[in-house]
Amino acid sequence: MPALPTLQEIVSLAVRIITSRTFLEIVFFPGLLNVTLSAALLTWLERKVIARVQLRIGPLYAGIWGILQPIADGVKLMFKEMIFPELADAKLLMLCALSLMLLAIAPVVAIPFGEGLVIADMDIGLIYVFAALSLFPSVILLIGWGSNSKYSFLGGLRSLFQQVSYEIPMWLSVLGIVMLTGTLNLSEIVKAQQNVWFVVPQAVGFAVFFTAGLAELERIPFDLPEAETELVMGWMTELSGIAFMLGFLAMYTKLYLMSALITALFLGGWLGPSILPGPVWFLLKTFLVCTVMIVIRGAFPRVRVDLLLKAGWTRLLLLAIANIFVTVVLILLGLGWVWRV
Amino acid sequence: MGAKGRDPIRDAPFESGQTHLGEARQRYMMQYYPYLIMFVVFDVVAMFLFTWGLAFIALPLSQDFLFLVFLVILVAPLGYALYLSGKTEIW
Repeated sequence: MPALPTLQEIVSLAVRIITSRTFLEIVFFPGLLNVTLSAALLTWLERKVIARVQLRIGPLYAGIWGILQPIADGVKLMFKEMIFPELADAKLLMLCALSLMLLAIAPVVAIPFGEGLVIADMDIGLIYVFAALSLFPSVILLIGWGSNSKYSFLGGLRSLFQQVSYEIPMWLSVLGIVMLTGTLNLSEIVKAQQNVWFVVPQAVGFAVFFTAGLAELERIPFDLPEAETELVMGWMTELSGIAFMLGFLAMYTKLYLMSALITALFLGGWLGPSILPGPVWFLLKTFLVCTVMIVIRGAFPRVRVDLLLKAGWTRLLLLAIANIFVTVVLILLGLGWVWRV
Repeated sequence: MGAKGRDPIRDAPFESGQTHLGEARQRYMMQYYPYLIMFVVFDVVAMFLFTWGLAFIALPLSQDFLFLVFLVILVAPLGYALYLSGKTEIW
């Protein structure tokens, strides 16, 4: 019979786990703390930038420039009563809101925030991120169905159609990068960009990915699932209190990680002049992409449902396929070595 | 953390202040349903394209072009499916 571990052994094991690099990465920098704090910061940034676009001031009183506003909102939502309609499935709603947040955080595992600064350096990192993103519509549809409210149901259905339609152009727009580098590992893809960023040879792919990304994020001009003027708050209508906070934060987490993905795939990730360390460059680029998406929200109107779906299946898909052909020509011209790892 | 209470008006589903008309889980005309079917088909194709893209440099050129021809052929059924999806009256 093996001897039971002594208290000292257990404590030393716990200390070893807590001080291990993987644990610190999961809890602090590329992991949970980074993602939740950035998502909270993005809610503030969005309100501030949109206010600037509309000649308002935005949050002002909580902290300097109102930067503590997200924390104030979080505390308020936590102390609010959770009201679920009598016809709704409250347990399902709570569970879905929770799993939405978990799904939103999931892609961070594979995204490299710096040289070797990635929780799991997977060889199929890109596929993993896409798999995590493509689970969203089903959970959102469940929220719409579980709310048993007409606005939520319509919002959930619209979200399903939209995300499903824009997934394929999104995948195919990245295929050019996969062909040039011959790998699905995101760290390798970033390293391949040390000569020229992929936004130059894959400009069409970048445009398609950015547009499809906006549609996946359900942001203006593709915010049909929560079109405020028609559907109140879309699939989030019947969520309240902590459930609403989770759903809301999940959307901003998704925005942050989608921008991080765009940075890693097209904008050279952590690469940049050595004035600043790599992770700082990565965060700067990511927040720049986020800001562009936010300004787009302030500047564009909403598109119609059928036009949205048709544009995704015709123009974006054909552009993505054209991008594949451009890549083939690039490789045939013998320019492939520029992006070889 | 907040207090719990029950009230018939507060617990009703939100319908812009009107009295709600009961269940939302009723028959709903999904005129965009064909797009879902198209996704099921082209999703698989897109995933297979990834395996091809990974091996693009390793494969001989003649076999690469076979797949490009396949990609071009795919546009015809895609166009027809889109034409049928556009006719919302039959769905």
